[in-house]
Amino acid sequence: MPDAITVSELARSYGAVRAVRGISFTVGRGEIFALLGPNGAGKTTTLEILEGFRGRDAGQVEVLGFDPADRATGRVLRERIGLVLQDIAVEPYLTVRETLARNAGYYPAPRDVGEVIALAGLAGQERTKVRNLSGGLKRRLDLGLGLIGDPDLLFLDEPTTGFDPSARRDAWQIVRGLRGCGTTILLTTHYMDEAQALADRVAVMSGGRIVARGTPADLGGRDSAQARIRFALPRGYAAADLPTGATAVAGDGLVTVRTSAPTETLHQLTGWALDRGLTLDRLTVDRPSLEDVYLGLTGTAAAEDPVERSDR
Amino acid sequence: MSTATSRASRRDLALVWHQIRYEQLSFWRNPQSAFFTFVFPVVIITLFGAMFGGVGRSSYFYGLSALQYYVPTIAAVSVLGACYSQLAIVLSTRRQNGMLKRVRATPLPAWAYFLGLLAHCLVVSVVDIALIVGVGRLFGVPLPTQWAAAGAALVLGAASFCALGVAVASVIRNAEAAPAVVQLVLFPLVFISGTYLPIHSGVLDRIAGWLPVRPFNQALLGSFAQHTGVDWKDLGVLLAWGAAGALVAVWRFRWDPRAG
Repeated sequence: MPDAITVSELARSYGAVRAVRGISFTVGRGEIFALLGPNGAGKTTTLEILEGFRGRDAGQVEVLGFDPADRATGRVLRERIGLVLQDIAVEPYLTVRETLARNAGYYPAPRDVGEVIALAGLAGQERTKVRNLSGGLKRRLDLGLGLIGDPDLLFLDEPTTGFDPSARRDAWQIVRGLRGCGTTILLTTHYMDEAQALADRVAVMSGGRIVARGTPADLGGRDSAQARIRFALPRGYAAADLPTGATAVAGDGLVTVRTSAPTETLHQLTGWALDRGLTLDRLTVDRPSLEDVYLGLTGTAAAEDPVERSDR
Repeated sequence: MSTATSRASRRDLALVWHQIRYEQLSFWRNPQSAFFTFVFPVVIITLFGAMFGGVGRSSYFYGLSALQYYVPTIAAVSVLGACYSQLAIVLSTRRQNGMLKRVRATPLPAWAYFLGLLAHCLVVSVVDIALIVGVGRLFGVPLPTQWAAAGAALVLGAASFCALGVAVASVIRNAEAAPAVVQLVLFPLVFISGTYLPIHSGVLDRIAGWLPVRPFNQALLGSFAQHTGVDWKDLGVLLAWGAAGALVAVWRFRWDPRAG
């Protein structure tokens, strides 16, 4: 099956500001793909070009086989995609059900309004006027409006910005449910954990370029990076006493052992401690988090390309 | 192929009807806005009735009584308000708060969206006119005689002023400026077109005759009170302005709050 989205050498400038500088990626059918990056990285510009809201200066773009810049096929394309935009802007005096029913009428084969209400977690709010919804519920209505046309492809622009932690988990659950229905999803986010929780693949954007791509697990070489074992040195022992060699002493009183063979190294360390009747307090084993990788990637890129900051 | 075409056009028709219904629902759901939309023309015509109710036929009012003159001109200015002013302000507000972009995100075609708005403006205009004619009746003004001519003038006028409203909304960049710009254009135009005071200046009449408001006043005066039927020149001028407005609208209209 052809990809849902193909982008090659896409570029867009606003005056002297080069918001998107020749990026390429593909999104397969049924995949959840995240564009990750700080504000001003070019995510929203990229998304708006794919949604047909903005033109492009250069490059090829195909969305479900259509060129989103082609006005002649705009309506056909819109019937098959769902958009959840950043700004909340819905007619305030209609009820939740009316708002969904209105938009359902715009599509040739919409989802059932009741089904969308359940899917978006709006059960019990059907008769509430939009103006009386809380911010979080409005965002759910937004999501519902994105889903009402039963789209093959859903664009989510920072879907959980401003959510409290439990609302975010709920939203993630909804998105995962959609993956189960086979919906392709392209989302932008500046939250690492969101990309990690949802995306099959991630592209990190910074300064209008894609600076890294991969699955959340292997992004930026995370999978091959050294693991980090940290613990408090037992009283009376120095770092040099450890069988694993010298380790750095951190400011919080913990020592760090870096290793590319964590199973063996951990065995050595715990064996050493057990032989002496010691405990390794506050013991943790981890890898560089996606956040560490991301900050490394975007921080470096931003330092190399301090030019533009805003695509908004 | 032809069945597919007819199915598509039937779907489009249903779509327009759907959009008209929800545009109406949104409007009537906001009772304050609905109330004030209709209270203004009623207040004006009642005031004029109180002030000029006793002024009989005179040459100053072209052989009509004062209220016979004012019922059609106030009706005309209420159509201007319902179509031109409201639409310009509503569209710039909806654009600024992102609602237009939201419409653009759906497959609803632009023409269907605008037909929904046009129908809404027509409904408001018709209710306005009915209220004004009704209040006029209370002050003893006879009902309009030439309904067909009045209807034609109304539909054409409403469409043209809607097009001009969209054109102004296309040129205005921010919603806060919209009411001021709308008034700046409308106020002098209404005055030189004889809406509130009959103009007895050949030069002014000729100038105003080529601008959109006076031809509409004349068309309603003719069909409401003067029994003159359809004046093709007036309707032609209106149509030309409507077409000009539509051109500007098609050329300049933006859905996105940000320029792009």
